[in-house]
Amino acid sequence: MKIQAINEEFLQQIETLQMLVKHNVAGLFGGNHQSKTFGSSCEFSDFRDYMAGDDITKIDWNAYARFDKLYLKLYLDERQMHTKIYIDASRSMEYGNSKKGEQAIKLAAALAYLSVCEMDKVSIYVIREKELIEVIGGMVGKEAFISNIHKLNDIEFGGDSYITDAILPTNVGFGDGMSFLISDFLTDNDYDRVIDHLAGKKRHVVCMQILSREELNPLVRGKMHFFDSEDVNRTYRKHIDKEIAKAYKAALNYVTDRIKSICASRGNDYMLISSEESLGQIFFGKMIEEGVLK
Amino acid sequence: MTFLYPLGLLGLIGIPILIIIYIIKNKYTEQTIASTYLWILSEKFLKRKNPIKKLVGLISLILQILTVAALSLAMAHPIIILPDAAHEYCFILDASGSMNMVSGEVTRFEKGKEKIAEIIEESLDGSYYSLVCVSDYTTVVYERVEDKEFAIEELATVEEGYSVGDMDDAIAKAQEYFNLNPSIKTYLVTDKVYEESVNVEVIDVSGDEVNYAVTELAYELKGSNLTVTGKAVSYTKDMELTVELYLDDAQTPVVTQIVQTPKLALTPFTLDTVIPEEGFEHLTVKIAEQDDFVLDNSCTLFNVKNENSYQTLLVSDAPFYVSSAIKAVGNAKLTVWSAKEYADAYESGNADGFGLYIFDSVSPNELPKDGAVWFFNLNGNVEKSGFTVQSEVEVEGGAKVEMSTSSATLVKKLTENVIANDFYISHYVKYGTYRNFTTLFSYKGNPIVFTGNNDYGNREVVFAFDLRKTNTSVGAAFTTLVKNLLDYSFPTVIEKVSYSVGDKLEVNVLANSTGLKITTPSNEEEYMNSNVAISEYVLEEVGVYKITMTVGGTDRHFFVYSSVPEEERAPDATAAKIELVGEAGGGGLDGKFDTLIILFISVALLFIADWGVYCYDKYQLR
Repeated sequence: MKIQAINEEFLQQIETLQMLVKHNVAGLFGGNHQSKTFGSSCEFSDFRDYMAGDDITKIDWNAYARFDKLYLKLYLDERQMHTKIYIDASRSMEYGNSKKGEQAIKLAAALAYLSVCEMDKVSIYVIREKELIEVIGGMVGKEAFISNIHKLNDIEFGGDSYITDAILPTNVGFGDGMSFLISDFLTDNDYDRVIDHLAGKKRHVVCMQILSREELNPLVRGKMHFFDSEDVNRTYRKHIDKEIAKAYKAALNYVTDRIKSICASRGNDYMLISSEESLGQIFFGKMIEEGVLK
Repeated sequence: MTFLYPLGLLGLIGIPILIIIYIIKNKYTEQTIASTYLWILSEKFLKRKNPIKKLVGLISLILQILTVAALSLAMAHPIIILPDAAHEYCFILDASGSMNMVSGEVTRFEKGKEKIAEIIEESLDGSYYSLVCVSDYTTVVYERVEDKEFAIEELATVEEGYSVGDMDDAIAKAQEYFNLNPSIKTYLVTDKVYEESVNVEVIDVSGDEVNYAVTELAYELKGSNLTVTGKAVSYTKDMELTVELYLDDAQTPVVTQIVQTPKLALTPFTLDTVIPEEGFEHLTVKIAEQDDFVLDNSCTLFNVKNENSYQTLLVSDAPFYVSSAIKAVGNAKLTVWSAKEYADAYESGNADGFGLYIFDSVSPNELPKDGAVWFFNLNGNVEKSGFTVQSEVEVEGGAKVEMSTSSATLVKKLTENVIANDFYISHYVKYGTYRNFTTLFSYKGNPIVFTGNNDYGNREVVFAFDLRKTNTSVGAAFTTLVKNLLDYSFPTVIEKVSYSVGDKLEVNVLANSTGLKITTPSNEEEYMNSNVAISEYVLEEVGVYKITMTVGGTDRHFFVYSSVPEEERAPDATAAKIELVGEAGGGGLDGKFDTLIILFISVALLFIADWGVYCYDKYQLR
């Protein structure tokens, strides 16, 4: 049971956190997130001249006393967000001892709990080949979380995954929350199109790239013949020496920098996560530093 | 190429084994990983591809194969044969006196040996070496030797001489080698400059040495006045030389003189001094200035008179007349004992150790064995003396004795310069002889003075009269007779005390001598033949030779000085021509090149290189 690694104490701790949505959401129901429309929350937004028909309870009498003119005090409205979590379920996420898949599920569960705590709606999807499969859909409230979250244990990793082909045809929503893309992004697929698409839908995208320790810092040397876990025809045969190790580091930096720059250029967030890292380190460290949580 | 141990090549079997191991071991390790995406992508980030890098994996194998091959070859010990590359070498090493000059820090001789050793070292294996050494005589140290180490070791044992080097025999020997093998390389290692050399390569080991010498040393002693004459010479430049005279072993000179010495001019000097009362044993003349050839800077002369003087014992109760006669001659160190003193000494066993025993009117109990014996007026029989006492005869009014007119050599020698016209005696003892004696003076057919050898072989002189009862006790004639008889009793052992190296020393062996040995300046003792009248010895060193002659159980010592020959003193001597007759040429010898060291060095380098590659591969990359 992969998600058993998330204990109750940790869930209580993350209740103190809050997702930092960079775009004001346009949800339908009341929630904890600020909307672009002015509403009845306690958070002050602006003043405007009083017009006939306005709610007189919103008149700022202090301003009237100072300026002898009626001003209406405007407050931000708070709406419910729909958090969508996409998990790459390709074979590379779970091959061998990498534990990337386990890390992805734990992240998804923790993120889902954080969302339901904020009265948001949460949907979790897995991407397998070119399909987007809904594992948990429209989950709201802690009770729903408790009753549905076990479904994550049923996720199986295998085959290839095409993030773009899987997400683009689906309804990703518009301006109603955050989208988490959890993958190792070790593919040539043009995932930037997905990021663009989600950003175009006014969703706040967070790309979470999970890599194993061997992928981050390969120690293997000598004559090696590597086979790809997703496609046996993809092989790499080389005498791995200092030069190749350097080139590998450069390739890794290239990939991570590319995703990071794509996200940054579109106002979205990117995080590189090791499969060895604990959720505490990720949630109370990295995610706060990156401004995803507060 | 030949192999000393061909079985060593079996080690080459290791090469295919190594290759098989390499093939088995060198497979790619297959591994399935989550994604090859990053590895494939890394190809784009590889820097310039170095085609040699593809061989890196093979380098270790190549090095190991080379190591095994080199090791196998080393075990087989290959010798490469180089046709006509080696030579036969003949070295003529000049070991004459001038080669002792110090050139730099070593002598010319040592320098010459170093040059020969260098040539031998640098020559190819398979060469032959002959070494001919020239000093007093020509010595073939070794002949056609192939072993380099032996040749060099034997070369080291060769020692320099001090005499004049005579090249004729050496060249004859070299000519012999040349006739056998005209391709022979002949080297003459010398300090002489040859104007021309044919078929001989002259290696000149001379330098800019300077040399001063003292030569032609002589002395004259008149009473206590000593006059030393000699000549000083500077061989390389005009010099102001300081000549010093030392007596015996004194540390300070008794006379010092500055001598202006033009180059190569024998400049005479005279040193005058007064000798001490006790006389002197030897004198040394030195040149104070330092040069490169110390052997000829000093010369020592021994006092001939001192050399040939004898310890003489006179036993007499009235010794005046006899002792006066002996002292007048001055060639004996006289000890006078009374008859009682002699008897006491005889009783205690101390009555020996003298060269001459004179008994004046005293009859000894026993004839001395270790020296000559003179008897004056002996009136008792002495065993083994060769004669017996018959009677004593008084001559009324005295009588003139007659000197022998024999033409015998001995009689002539012993009566030389003796004028006996008025030689009168008033008393004599009549003796009967049973050995052959030579009569010098007689009266009415009775021997008055006669001489011969006693039963011990010692010389014996008998005076049949009492000196006090003659008219000639201290007269000139008697003194001359005593001198002649002393010379007869004590023949001169060493007549000349100054020699040059290479000269022949002659020692007159005393008739009763029982042993003769000579101690060289280098303190080596050699025994000389004491069974001949004149024993000869060739002087080979510079310095003082000590001759020890055992006479009657007592050792007597004589000294001579041997100096560097005049011909060997010039630092820059020249010679006309040296030639080996014939036409040089012909094939050389097969050279042998031993590759063992190279192979072992190669093995070591290959091993280090392989180790370096291993370390680079295993550690540096990480």
